[in-house]
Amino acid sequence: MMHGISDQEWSDYFDQQLEPGECDRIEAHLIGCLTCWEFYERMAQTTERLRAGGAEMRHRFPLRDEQLHAGLRGVFARIREAEASRTLPHRNSIQERLDFLEAIMAPMCGSRTAAKALHAAAKGSPAQSLAQVTPDNWTPFLTSLTSIATVMCGETGAHLVWESGQLR
Amino acid sequence: VEEKQALELFLLTGTEEAFCALFEVLYAKVRRYFLLRGLDRMTAEELGQNVMFIVYRRAGEVREKDLFYGWLFKVARNELSRHWRQHRPQGELVAFEPLSAELAARLTTEIEAARNSQFYEWMTYLEPAERELIMLRFIEELSYEELAVTFAIPLGTVKWRLFNAKKKLAQIICASSANYVTKPTSEL
Repeated sequence: MMHGISDQEWSDYFDQQLEPGECDRIEAHLIGCLTCWEFYERMAQTTERLRAGGAEMRHRFPLRDEQLHAGLRGVFARIREAEASRTLPHRNSIQERLDFLEAIMAPMCGSRTAAKALHAAAKGSPAQSLAQVTPDNWTPFLTSLTSIATVMCGETGAHLVWESGQLR
Repeated sequence: VEEKQALELFLLTGTEEAFCALFEVLYAKVRRYFLLRGLDRMTAEELGQNVMFIVYRRAGEVREKDLFYGWLFKVARNELSRHWRQHRPQGELVAFEPLSAELAARLTTEIEAARNSQFYEWMTYLEPAERELIMLRFIEELSYEELAVTFAIPLGTVKWRLFNAKKKLAQIICASSANYVTKPTSEL
């Protein structure tokens, strides 16, 4: 507090956020008080010079086009990496599901036939191969496998394959 | 206007195309933030890319879009803190090893340019917290509200700290200023 003016009031006065009555009171005081006037001048000058200095600093670190492009490439590399690591758990869960289906079919038609059935189902579906089976093309793959299972394991076996293969 | 449009478009669509436009606007600011805190160019760019990656993934979660820049520099501050936590011990070890001429040049170029400025000299008189506040206010032009978001402190505290930092700087700046204006009797 200086001459009845608090820091809060000074701060609001400089930011022009003071109520009109309070503003008038400070300005009336400034007319007659050299100490406060000098304080006001110093603060106003400081703010102005900080603004000018800040503007100058903004231009001191120019960014060249190649730096900008390298930065963008770096960010997209991070994005792709994050996306890849997000799909990896999917791939793991798909593999688990494939192993599970093979294990279900093996007692009904033999383990080698079950493995071949899975490959054939993948080949006959949009996935084209077991490695390419994803959650997105899982349903056509499972439909294809169920058709094969109907021939090899009968309706009941095929129904079991279909139900066990549902991604939930 | 272009900056505001790029931001609004990305927040609205979240597409890669919109992000590219926003990146052009923000990356220079974020990179400068790290350079001004004494990091070498490569590290500043690395951390700047980390911040922009977070912008890409999480900008949609920002609740008050008008205070986006407050959030952006909060992310940058967190990234800087994380960097210091991870690299401080290594920095001490590196100090014992001779630096190659190429590395030494890379460590000094851009920040040296800033150190020659009067603004940078003024900042040396401030405490780190005050310096951070003044730099974000006057270099990045953050509003009080945005600063409150960045530092996670109340608005009144932002104003009070800024006012006190400016009072401290006023003594230095005006003492060095030759053309200090005395009270003009005619104006008031």
